[in-house]
Amino acid sequence: MTTATETAAKPKGTLFGKKERAIVKDPVWDNNPITLQVLGICSALAITTSLQPALVMCISLTFVLCGSNVIISILRNFIPNKIRIIVMLSVISTLVILVDQVLKAYSYDMSKELSVFVGLIITNCIVMGRAEAFAMANKPWPSFLDGLGNSLGYSVILIVVAFGRELFGNGTLFGFQVVPQVAYEAGYTNMGLMLLPPGAFLILGVIIWLQRTMSGHFED
Amino acid sequence: MQRKGDAYTFVFASVICVFCAVVLALAATALKPIQEKNVKLDVTVNILGAVGHDPMELKKTPDKAFELFEKEFEIKILDKDNAEQDRKFMETELAKLGYVPDELQDLDLGTLVRRFDSKVGLLAARAGQKRAEYDPGYKLVYVHRGETGGVDAYVVPIEGYGLWDIIKGYLALETDLNTIKGVTFYEHKETPGLGARVTEAWFQESFKGKKILDENNNLVSITVAKGPTASGPHQVDGISGATLTGDGMNVFMKRDLETYEPYFQTLRSSSRSATR
Repeated sequence: MTTATETAAKPKGTLFGKKERAIVKDPVWDNNPITLQVLGICSALAITTSLQPALVMCISLTFVLCGSNVIISILRNFIPNKIRIIVMLSVISTLVILVDQVLKAYSYDMSKELSVFVGLIITNCIVMGRAEAFAMANKPWPSFLDGLGNSLGYSVILIVVAFGRELFGNGTLFGFQVVPQVAYEAGYTNMGLMLLPPGAFLILGVIIWLQRTMSGHFED
Repeated sequence: MQRKGDAYTFVFASVICVFCAVVLALAATALKPIQEKNVKLDVTVNILGAVGHDPMELKKTPDKAFELFEKEFEIKILDKDNAEQDRKFMETELAKLGYVPDELQDLDLGTLVRRFDSKVGLLAARAGQKRAEYDPGYKLVYVHRGETGGVDAYVVPIEGYGLWDIIKGYLALETDLNTIKGVTFYEHKETPGLGARVTEAWFQESFKGKKILDENNNLVSITVAKGPTASGPHQVDGISGATLTGDGMNVFMKRDLETYEPYFQTLRSSSRSATR
């Protein structure tokens, strides 16, 4: 009921107004959590050796980030300030364990491969960061959009890194052979380095460089 | 209640805790049967894989995989003295450890032994003893029967540390209990692209036809080797960049085969006297 009166009082609070679109779009490009805020790097390096785990990780993070942002936002006026961080952590952990349990039940092979990294979403700085910086001060709908935007920003980078690493490191995409056998016979070899952490650093570095050049971002 | 008071903080924290706990408990309970089925399927297809079935194909049809396993395999439990024991015995042992007998009825033999294993580990830790001293040493052997109904292969679980963590797998031996029929490795936490390649088909294929005994019928096991020695009857070609994974495998394959060797010896001598 209160939302209805609030919407009536403030005509700006539409579902997909300019402001709302900016909330989603901003973290994808101008304020990307990985390339500009350099958050959530740990998982971006660890699970991007191939596309499939990267995609599952993105979906998991999207669920957790949107969920935690909405829940924290609903609770924001009730959470005692003294224990707000631990409350956020409880909400986030609960969501992460839910994701882990669902993966174990419906995507067992994937959950074996991702193992600890799903659990590590709990400590993913993006999730805590958005809860503290955005959801604590905004209504549920914008918080949801903020979660969505940041997950998208994270996902785009993860997919691009995984694409490069799987293609150059294994010659496959989503497990399907892409580099033709002819190329191997002609002397082409997969770049093993791509599958190791340095490979992820290299691709991520190139992405950050390209993106900052294009958006004209400078560190002060 | 005042929102800034300590009482409010306590009440709020308790409500959040209870709520989160209830949600998680519900989810875990609801999903448990499916998760247990997944673990069972994973083990089942890998045992089937060790004797030459295609694990990836079998995973798509779980019921068929379980059916095939039931049809082709007989599970044997061996105690410390390598005497064969039956299900009844295992249930009594588990009941001694505090399990409710009725709950054990629906579980398959493999699950029973796995439960027993984890419980023994727990009890040993509680008693402050090393696992090896506490472990009664029950072992599993999966006897494979071919289409003619005769024994075709013996499959034993092998597991131990690779580089980072435990690698689990199954090793199938031909009826001479010397020649390797097949190997699967399925659970591991090795480096992706390097040690993790133990799950790849070419590596597992390279074990086929290798021997675990030397000319004098002494156990030499199989080693993961490098370079020109890798073509011998007891060696497989290692994975480049994963030497330490291979070293770990050498240790645990030898150790696990050694624990089974006395049982294999009795089987070998009985089959020899049967043919005579």
